[in-house]
Amino acid sequence: MKASTFVKAATLAAAASLIFTGCATGGGGGSATNGKAVWNEPTASLEGVTLTFGGGAVSDAGLTQVMDAFSEATGAKFEKVAYPDPYEQSLLTKVAVGDMPDLAAWQPTASQLTTLQPSKNLLSLDDAPWLDDLDPAVKDVTGFVGDTRYAALVTSPSVMGVYYNKGLFAQYGITEDPANWDEFIADAQSIKDQGGVPFYEAGGDMWPTQWWPQVQLAEQAQDGLWERVNTNEEQFTSPAILDAITEYKSLIDDGLFNADIKTATVIDQANAVLTGEAAMAVQVNALLLQMQSVSDTETIDANVGWFPISQDGNIATSIPDNKNGVVAFHTGDAEQEAAAAQFLNFWMTDGYADYIEAANAVSIKPDVQSPAGVPEVAKLISASLGTSVGSMQSLAVANADLYLNMAKMIQGTQTPEQVAEATQRQFAGLAQAQGLDGF
Amino acid sequence: MTVFADTPGPGSLRGKRRGGSNRRDYRRIGVPGPANRGIKAERSAYPSWFLWPAFAILGVFFLLPTVLNFVYAFTNWSAYHDGVDFVGWQNFEALLGNGDVLIALRTTLIWAVLVAVLQNVFGFALALFFERDSRINRASRAIFFIPVLISPLAIGYIFQALLKPDGALNGMLGGVLGQSVSIAWLGDTTWTIVVVSIVQSWKWMGLSMLIYLAGLKSIPEDVLEAAKIDGASWWRTLRSVRFPLLAPAVTFNVATALLGSMNGFDTVQATTKGGPAGTTEVLNIFIYRTFGQGLYAQATTMSLILFLVVILLAFPIIWALRRREKQLL
Amino acid sequence: MKTTRLTRGIQPILAILACLLVIGIPLYLLVITSFKSDAEAQVPDLSLPTTWHIAENYGRAISDGDVLGGLFGSLLVTVPSVFGVLVLGSAASWVLARRSSKLMGLLYSVGISGIILPPAVVTMVLTLQSLGLDGTALGMIGVYMGMFMATAIFFTTGFVRNIPVELEEAARIDGASPFKVYVRIVLPLLRPVIATAAILVTLSVWNEVFYAFFVLSGSGASTLPLNLFNVASQSEYVKNWNLIFAYVVLMSIPMVVTFIIAQRRIVAGVTAGAVK
Repeated sequence: MKASTFVKAATLAAAASLIFTGCATGGGGGSATNGKAVWNEPTASLEGVTLTFGGGAVSDAGLTQVMDAFSEATGAKFEKVAYPDPYEQSLLTKVAVGDMPDLAAWQPTASQLTTLQPSKNLLSLDDAPWLDDLDPAVKDVTGFVGDTRYAALVTSPSVMGVYYNKGLFAQYGITEDPANWDEFIADAQSIKDQGGVPFYEAGGDMWPTQWWPQVQLAEQAQDGLWERVNTNEEQFTSPAILDAITEYKSLIDDGLFNADIKTATVIDQANAVLTGEAAMAVQVNALLLQMQSVSDTETIDANVGWFPISQDGNIATSIPDNKNGVVAFHTGDAEQEAAAAQFLNFWMTDGYADYIEAANAVSIKPDVQSPAGVPEVAKLISASLGTSVGSMQSLAVANADLYLNMAKMIQGTQTPEQVAEATQRQFAGLAQAQGLDGF
Repeated sequence: MTVFADTPGPGSLRGKRRGGSNRRDYRRIGVPGPANRGIKAERSAYPSWFLWPAFAILGVFFLLPTVLNFVYAFTNWSAYHDGVDFVGWQNFEALLGNGDVLIALRTTLIWAVLVAVLQNVFGFALALFFERDSRINRASRAIFFIPVLISPLAIGYIFQALLKPDGALNGMLGGVLGQSVSIAWLGDTTWTIVVVSIVQSWKWMGLSMLIYLAGLKSIPEDVLEAAKIDGASWWRTLRSVRFPLLAPAVTFNVATALLGSMNGFDTVQATTKGGPAGTTEVLNIFIYRTFGQGLYAQATTMSLILFLVVILLAFPIIWALRRREKQLL
Repeated sequence: MKTTRLTRGIQPILAILACLLVIGIPLYLLVITSFKSDAEAQVPDLSLPTTWHIAENYGRAISDGDVLGGLFGSLLVTVPSVFGVLVLGSAASWVLARRSSKLMGLLYSVGISGIILPPAVVTMVLTLQSLGLDGTALGMIGVYMGMFMATAIFFTTGFVRNIPVELEEAARIDGASPFKVYVRIVLPLLRPVIATAAILVTLSVWNEVFYAFFVLSGSGASTLPLNLFNVASQSEYVKNWNLIFAYVVLMSIPMVVTFIIAQRRIVAGVTAGAVK
């Protein structure tokens, strides 16, 4: 009996070490391809090929259209792999054990791309044939880790800015967009003095809270703030970032926000700006999408305006999201990799006009017109990209949970100093895991 | 009739008691117990191969991952680089030096204790309330068992809708009070953990009820008769006769509710996702989030910490509950 | 005596009230919202729908939420897991309960540890990957069997210990092999406890979602709770409560029906036991 128990224990230990070493060597085994995409003709036949496309459960009319068109043109089939949201986490789980789809919708920012270990797992898109046809203003805004392009930008990236209700601005005598932060706050104060609600924040959904410090940091971001944070020369606790957080807190304390800031959601926020319940909201394109889902272009054009804001001027801060970018995985199967690249090529060349029409989004190719149904605000946002600066997500090497800590501040359980400290601690942990110097 | 009335009480949560108790039982009924038969006869009558399939499954799918937990918690396994190297206690130092894990651990403990207390209080009260075998009581027991059947994720969504600031509960309260009510039941940094614990207890109280009912039904009639003859009131009989005899059911219910809730995830995820301000963020939500950031070794370390905390809790709790059983029975 | 009669008069009324308030209201909200239009379901309340959208909502839940695929996946995972756990677990329990060595005590402790110890989710995925079972129904079955074997062993071992050993010994003296003794004598006696364990394990597996996230998401296979999560996440900001709740109703029906059937069987089992 003793002997057989011992044998069993030994077998277990052997199995454990087997798994351990299997993973330690990277799991992938020898790969026949070199990680650079091969660019075939967009409509070359792909009979018998099935591509897997990873993404969230949220349906996307544009994506469905372009997949169908590609299938029609080449005979390739698609298997859409919907991961439970937040799907990035689920997809990472799979990538961690070497189980990758061929393509995935992915936020094309450096911090998010880094989590996929791009040099090992993603195809480089440096020589993509469609790049020269892109709007120069957005071409190189995002999609890079270091100097290598790993994500294809398919729609105009999301931008942080101020959505406002046109009627309320007129009612409170604001005739010009504020030209800097001080004017912006002065306008808000004036609205409050006249009995209105200047700002609407969706604290219940938490994530919009992180835009407030970021827009204040636009000039400093241009000046290399995030590069310094990446090398630990500056921290979230440094005056620059801490002051921006404190400013947001003091605006809340001054009563410039909606009374239900702790529980309000993005749905409430969109309705508030659309109907004039509140004058302004600092948000990204997601707010416009939400407005579009409950209203029509005409109503939005009539009621909602938009301007970018920063400390000393009107510099927009761009933050591409997971609907703006697509990555192709380096699976080691040359045929699948080539087919995935061919799909991206088709998407951005032959198929782009129909795609942008179905997605009802702003085109990033000057030779393709944006659909007529796109709201004016979307065009303003897209136009602001030319002089925009990257967000924390785009320029910092890791995306710490700033918004979770900010939400705690709104709930009153953390001070601005604690928000900065907690965020810095998380950032340092992530930077350490990446093996960066200075951490 | 109850679902578990025929179960003569669950087995022992401890392993060691078995031989002794068997021997005692058999001596009492006057047949030779297993110990009298000799090991060899016992082995040929109850061959080991009956054990292997079950323990092979347990070994591969339960023990092996647990062992690997102990290995990977000491590595730098992450999404950011190839290869896995041992880094000693680094993950533990980083996590324990960071207050967040301790806060999540505290939240998890508060949540588990609240659920264990509420679920058992509700379950026991229901068992007493529906004890008599009337037709209405039998139907009521079945109705209170329905939430046990529904997925915790679904329960979470139902209560999210019910407890929204503009949801049905506030609507009803408003109707009763005659003014509009917009309490954010799931948006309070102090009380939401209690609300979510109540939701979890609501889901599981039907099961506790049935186990207590099974216990109540298994109390011998003569014991109750004796108490009646002594003129003991209902309350006194409950306190000094019936409740003590329920000790095994209490052990099982409290231990599984408390220690099971330590591994909780779905109800919290579906109602609050850990909010507001992280005040309901139990360890598993934290693990899921850390994993999503690509810090696999750290997520593994947290999983190991959870495992160790459950073990540390389990031994004294089960020991105390079993000692209580012995004293009472 | 007076108070008893009084409480006996009031108790049924209170029982009905408790059922209506505590269980009835949430379940009513669930069902009534699943009948409402998209717009009305935005703010779910207890009012009746102004227009009824029963067929439409349930149709959409079935097609968009892939109820049939989820049902197939859930059955594919649940039936073998429960069956496997009960067959293997009860066989092991018999030996664990009857043999008295120290090793058996240790094995029993290990066997039931899963009732309270949380299975390691992160390294579970690694284990499955190395076995080539990641993302497969077979892998999921293995995980669930590993998780719930403890429940089966715990309940059956406790039950076997209360079965007198003479029945088995009589058969053994007649020359029956251990396998025959187990199948012919022991297993029939275990029926009630197996039913109980079956209910508990089925419930747990059918509704489990956390481990399914890690094992099944991103593969072809799916289960009802995973699909529910997808339905609930379909729109990022708005919750289509009518569709979510139609889905919840559909996915709960098999369990409720199973419960009713299983409860009857157990009631019958107990009555038979009382006659003996």
